[in-house]
Amino acid sequence: MKKKYGLLLIAFVLLLSLGMAGCGKSSSGGTEGGGNSGGGTLVFARGGDSESLDPAVTTEGESFKVTENIYETLINFGEQDTEIEPGLAESWKESDDGLKHTLKLKKGVKFHDGTDFNAEAVVFNFERWKAGNKERFYYYNSQFGDVMKEVKAVDEHTVEFTLNRVLAPFYKNLAMSPFAIASPEAIKKHGDKFAENPTGTGPFKFKEWKRNDKVTIVKNENYWKKGLPKLDSVIFRVIPENSARLNALNTGEVDLIDGVNFSDVDSIKKNDKLQAFFRPSLNVAYLGLNNERGPLKDKKVRQALNYAVDKKALIDAFYAGAAEAAVNPMPETVAGYNDAVKDYEYDPEKAKQLLKEAGYEKGFEIELWAMPVARPYMPDGKKVAEAIQSNFEKVGVKSKIVSFEWPTYLEKARKGEADTFLLGWTGDNGDADNFLYVLLDEDSIGSNNYTYYKNPKVHELFTKAQSTNDQSEREKLYKEAQEIIKDDAPWIPLVHSKPALAGKAEIKGFKPHPTGSDLLSNVEMKK
Amino acid sequence: MEILTQKQPQQFQAVAEEKALSPWREAWRSFRKNKLALAGSIIVLVFILIGIFAPLIAPNGINEQAMAKRLQAPSSEHWFGTDDFGRDILSRVVYGARISLWVGFFSVVASMAVGCLLGIVAGYYGKWIDSVISRIFDIMLAFPSILLAIAIVAVLGPSLQNALIAIAVINVPNFGRLIRARVLSVKEEEYIVAARAIGMKDSRILFRHVLPNSIAPIIVQGTLAIATAIIEAAALGFLGLGAEAPNPEWGKMLSDAKQFMIEAPWTMVFPGLAIMLTVLGFNLMGDGLRDAFDPRMKN
Repeated sequence: MKKKYGLLLIAFVLLLSLGMAGCGKSSSGGTEGGGNSGGGTLVFARGGDSESLDPAVTTEGESFKVTENIYETLINFGEQDTEIEPGLAESWKESDDGLKHTLKLKKGVKFHDGTDFNAEAVVFNFERWKAGNKERFYYYNSQFGDVMKEVKAVDEHTVEFTLNRVLAPFYKNLAMSPFAIASPEAIKKHGDKFAENPTGTGPFKFKEWKRNDKVTIVKNENYWKKGLPKLDSVIFRVIPENSARLNALNTGEVDLIDGVNFSDVDSIKKNDKLQAFFRPSLNVAYLGLNNERGPLKDKKVRQALNYAVDKKALIDAFYAGAAEAAVNPMPETVAGYNDAVKDYEYDPEKAKQLLKEAGYEKGFEIELWAMPVARPYMPDGKKVAEAIQSNFEKVGVKSKIVSFEWPTYLEKARKGEADTFLLGWTGDNGDADNFLYVLLDEDSIGSNNYTYYKNPKVHELFTKAQSTNDQSEREKLYKEAQEIIKDDAPWIPLVHSKPALAGKAEIKGFKPHPTGSDLLSNVEMKK
Repeated sequence: MEILTQKQPQQFQAVAEEKALSPWREAWRSFRKNKLALAGSIIVLVFILIGIFAPLIAPNGINEQAMAKRLQAPSSEHWFGTDDFGRDILSRVVYGARISLWVGFFSVVASMAVGCLLGIVAGYYGKWIDSVISRIFDIMLAFPSILLAIAIVAVLGPSLQNALIAIAVINVPNFGRLIRARVLSVKEEEYIVAARAIGMKDSRILFRHVLPNSIAPIIVQGTLAIATAIIEAAALGFLGLGAEAPNPEWGKMLSDAKQFMIEAPWTMVFPGLAIMLTVLGFNLMGDGLRDAFDPRMKN
């Protein structure tokens, strides 16, 4: 008897819970961006929220993604490359010694608050960055810091920059998102709250920002480029999980997403309601070999490991083919790339041979560090590490895969605690200096040179290239450096990936920019 | 209570031959009649054999990558298909049996040993030592067990061995409490009182009389605990806190496969089935054992 009651009770509870589950399934909120009158609204979903909407005080990509559309820079990058083009400055002239740069500004441009854009405004911005805290205005200090002597307004529409020494990538630096010109009046008015009240000259005006949810920007009716922007408004939404973001696109809740898993690209291409975009590569993923640890001190060992890795298999398996095998530490689009450098092709026999010559016939054991997070250049660190682990095993090198939380990972690797580690870099301004010097110069040890690679010859080439203004001379120097680096093999350069994005089929005119900050003024939605 | 001491009089057994079979044989009789329990034992036995003879059964090694053959559907060449590294899933599942059973068995043996020791001491001596041990058990049981395991692995660092230790630790109070309760009742039995009366040492009483008479529920609990331990090991593996790559731990295989759930379901189905079957096997066997040992179930 007792048992029967028990069963009845269970059945009752089950029924009850079923009923409750039914109640819980309330309808989800209305769809945003459904209206398609006029230019319409574009909902752009991304993985994280902006840190600040004042581009000068941040280094974080999700911030620039928004500010790129609210503010403008004096010089612009090309639509899908990092060549320099006129922006708020119409033309520019450089003195013979390369220390004075005179920029002619566009006339008749107004900030969103109605004040005029002029030379005074430019000077005000530079003064602000210069006077500010070094940590706070990080990019200004790293790119211009001790080089900038004076910024002067010659007349209403002419600005003159005087430098302490030649700065080869001067114009490329000016085109970076953090050096966008903001309205002086708005900065004075909002003070500390300026980051929440961004005011620039860009195609879109700021409307509202709900932290960790969305940023809304609306069309700037008085934009100086006629007929732009085409959209009425853009909403940047935050959806952290890659698969959830793709799901939101599938259900039509959002129109455009970034951070698409390469493994999902195929199914997106097959779906005629969707389209896939690929961001031109301005990055490099590599396996760093700590030049000061154990067997890796030996150049031959580092070269052997270079021969051991099958890059083609990695690209097919983890990048859906949307990547190029990396030969040099920077992508081909960067001026100064050395085409003549030959890659170590995949050749396990050669690797074994070199290991034998180095006295490691029986192999050795190392740690192989894998990043715990997906990066644009490295979709799945742990799996790539597993593939490399098996590559290494074939030549007799045993490895243990190690991973930490992302900030810890970087900190420990920076201190030189890793034998071999996966890492990568996305360029800021497309200049060779921004890859080679930043990642491989001895001055960068302790910041971005995680391998502790040191070569006086390379250091000399880099410093020489920094202080010359002659582009072809610089390219020559960088080309020479790449040859030395190839031979020294401080890394195994893996790939230059083309990060994937996806959007509805109706989206027209969307051109992802290599720097990761996309200008949306040409985008439109067509049924 | 029909549990008999080992030193029972000879003639007693002779008189009641039908009824007074040794309790172990009696349990075996009732277990044999339980079809589900038998099926469970067969499943368990099969997996144990698979684990032992893995190198003979598996067609490939655990880490023979072949990128060209990635994510292939099951075929005559690869019965269970291939994973995203082009590795043979059948081979990995077969070797995975070793890992899961190894973790399940040894973590349970360890927690059983520690738990029994603490439980006996607490139950037999009582007083303050009982309070201390019981409170420690209460504290440990206050945490959700998997959370506690994650915390332990986080402190020790993720590896298969540490996952095993964590699982052993979280299961200690279950055994401890069980045997403590058992000891509390056993120690009031006349034969214990008698043993004490003739001046037997505590250690001898504990290990020769109390423990053997408390062992049946421990075996039942142990069998069931192996099932839980296998699931916990898989959960830790799934969270990336268990076996390191390229070890084919089933939970880790599941987690590696989850992004291919739609396009290559076999990467997920087979390790999942393996987990389900072993756990089912141990559970059925454990339930059967419980029924067999439980005096109330006897007719």
